[in-house]
Amino acid sequence: MLDWGVIVHYFPFLLKGAVLTLQISILSLLLGIACGLIAALCKLSKNPLLRWPAAFYIWLIRSTPLLVQLFIIYFGLPQIGIDLGPFLSGVIGLGLNVGAYNAETIRGGIVSIPVGQTEAARSLAMSSSLAMRRIILPQALRVIIPPMGNNFIILIKDTSLVSTITLVELTLTAQRFIGSTYKPFEMYLMAAFLYAVMTTTASLLLAKLEKRTSRGHR
Amino acid sequence: MKTENQDQTQPMVKITNLQKSFGDLTVLKDINLEIAASEVVVIIGPSGSGKSTLLRCVNHLEKPSGGEIYIEGELINDTTLKTKAFETHLNRIRCKVGMVFQQFNLFPHMTVIENVIEAPIHVLKQDRKKARKKAEELLTQVGLAEKLNSYPAQLSGGQQQRVAIARSLAMEPKLMLFDEVTSALDPELVGDVLRVMEDLALGGMTMMVVTHEMGFAEKVGDRVIFMADGFVVEDSSPQEMFSNPKEIRTQQFLAEI
Repeated sequence: MLDWGVIVHYFPFLLKGAVLTLQISILSLLLGIACGLIAALCKLSKNPLLRWPAAFYIWLIRSTPLLVQLFIIYFGLPQIGIDLGPFLSGVIGLGLNVGAYNAETIRGGIVSIPVGQTEAARSLAMSSSLAMRRIILPQALRVIIPPMGNNFIILIKDTSLVSTITLVELTLTAQRFIGSTYKPFEMYLMAAFLYAVMTTTASLLLAKLEKRTSRGHR
Repeated sequence: MKTENQDQTQPMVKITNLQKSFGDLTVLKDINLEIAASEVVVIIGPSGSGKSTLLRCVNHLEKPSGGEIYIEGELINDTTLKTKAFETHLNRIRCKVGMVFQQFNLFPHMTVIENVIEAPIHVLKQDRKKARKKAEELLTQVGLAEKLNSYPAQLSGGQQQRVAIARSLAMEPKLMLFDEVTSALDPELVGDVLRVMEDLALGGMTMMVVTHEMGFAEKVGDRVIFMADGFVVEDSSPQEMFSNPKEIRTQQFLAEI
């Protein structure tokens, strides 16, 4: 059966690993929102100089595995003189990855808003950027948040992959203690529990946000 | 600088040789039209005759394929301007031209009053307090003083359309475009919207109204234009148009409705 002594003793250490997981998640989430929004707007642009690079970015990320992307950034880039270190590599890798998925989610949300909304805004002399910011995006957000929330839940779990580039986050913390305790069941259960706490909290926060953005809708 | 006198004789809208095609389909063939300040021009005609397209060209929601449209003497489709300069030019003219749509197109994520103050605050850079005061007056004028904090989804179609009119008026336009604004409404809600438009006409607003409401055309219109197949077929006073139409196409159309 479970060795509760080991659990009680090592839980604080795993919690520390979870804090790093959380930091990586939040930073790559922010980067992922920025990349996603920029790529979505570029892909919707009439200018091919914006549209093509955005389409290429989205294609490249979505057609290759995250693990390989992380290896390219962490192990590959130093070969051409770009050494970002494990933390930045992890955050950038995860952020760029979730950004590509967000881009398609955001783009879908924007095109789902009826064209009459843009026409009403433009006929009120709003510039296209003002109309996007004040009229289209706030409405699109309602459509975007649930699927983007999914992307973030997946992101939190995918942070475990950065354990492979030497970041001692939750998963790698657990693995290290298995080496000294020979208690894989306890360690991995604790890790799983902490991931579940983080993803569930994120889900609850997203549900709240979803409620706030559906203002005016019945 | 132009003199006062010239401004008075200058038409509010002047359209010359306007053409508009969508791909192979030519919707407007050769439209020539002048509308004086304070004039109410009602545009009628069968569906597909180009009425809505004409209206949408006037505030450049549709880009004309040929010809010129002048608002108070200013060419709206000025092709010599670069992208950025054109947007500034367009938005300056659009401040003078309000438009109301068949499907209302209210902003669903904003309350009634927020819909009305949005453009005055963010486009005209009005002070929030001043914009709110003006919006309250306008919403009272269209009979919706009670609904300031409702969301569009909580209103009937007729109420939504009156909010849309107030939203346009908040920009203090000199010209109002109405694109089949009662077509999506239940019959019992049409009257309230038409009354608001009639008040507006009495107040001296220049209006271009695309509608199927012949009663309104006859009562409120200074001029009625009959369009068919992308041309202005007949352009006369309401009395002439409805009691003594000259063209066969007009006679046929009026006999059918």
